[in-house]
Amino acid sequence: MARVPFRWNVMTQQAATLDVPLVELVDRLLNRGVVLTGEVTISVAGVDLIYLGLSVVLSGVDTIRRHGGGM
Amino acid sequence: MSLLLRAIVATEDAGVGADLGLQSVPGARAAALASAWDAARTAGEAELLDHHRVVQAVFERVPCLPARFGSVFADEDALRARLALREVDLAAQLVRLGHRCELAITCAWRESEAVPRATIAPAQSGRAYLERGLTQLRGERERERRAEAIVARLVAELAIEPAFIRHQICPRPAVAVSMSALVTRDEIDELSSRVERIGAELPDVTTVMQGPWAPYTFAVSE
Repeated sequence: MARVPFRWNVMTQQAATLDVPLVELVDRLLNRGVVLTGEVTISVAGVDLIYLGLSVVLSGVDTIRRHGGGM
Repeated sequence: MSLLLRAIVATEDAGVGADLGLQSVPGARAAALASAWDAARTAGEAELLDHHRVVQAVFERVPCLPARFGSVFADEDALRARLALREVDLAAQLVRLGHRCELAITCAWRESEAVPRATIAPAQSGRAYLERGLTQLRGERERERRAEAIVARLVAELAIEPAFIRHQICPRPAVAVSMSALVTRDEIDELSSRVERIGAELPDVTTVMQGPWAPYTFAVSE
């Protein structure tokens, strides 16, 4: 199974304006649902989202930079 | 062309997404619905929300298990091989969950106490630093206790079978409770009324209900 690179800058720009209901939906789309292979394949700056968790993604751009480098 | 997995449906429903541009990969008991995907393509907010739109369109027609966004298979054979490994379990989940929908109930703090760290002045002494940390910790514990009390009330008054509820307390600074409830469509109106009534009686949080969605939270991966 392949990996889907994620345009992280898009989500970064949106993060500041994401309201709570949208975050709830995004959380489900990225972190829940059936995974046939047992692993999530979206990566953000080379770091798998499943290991970061959405709360980290939305709250800490610096965290991503520390983990994965530039955006 | 690669395939991006969208949802799992019963084999007899495999053709449900033809007009949505979905390719079906049927097995003996379950079928995978997927979209053509250029392996070199990157995904962003638009693709993420489009996944939700496609899953919802399928869910409005037939029972389905939503796929987590981002599963791409090299080709139909690769997807079929993976489906075969999980088919029995997925078919059982379809029977158990497929006709139910997920409602998201979110209680957000009315006043956020989260203070960006950059705005906090440096402590003047070690004692002041520790006292500030203790105060912050007590505040967090108090919020967790309050969130747990809100969960207890929701669970008691919504009267949903415990197996059909998942929740997190304080998953993010602005959120006290994030709850998912698995209900049938004819239970939605009653549940909505209850949530609205309970929310009106909770002075420190704003309560929002969303859905119905496909059962993302309850579809088990392994």
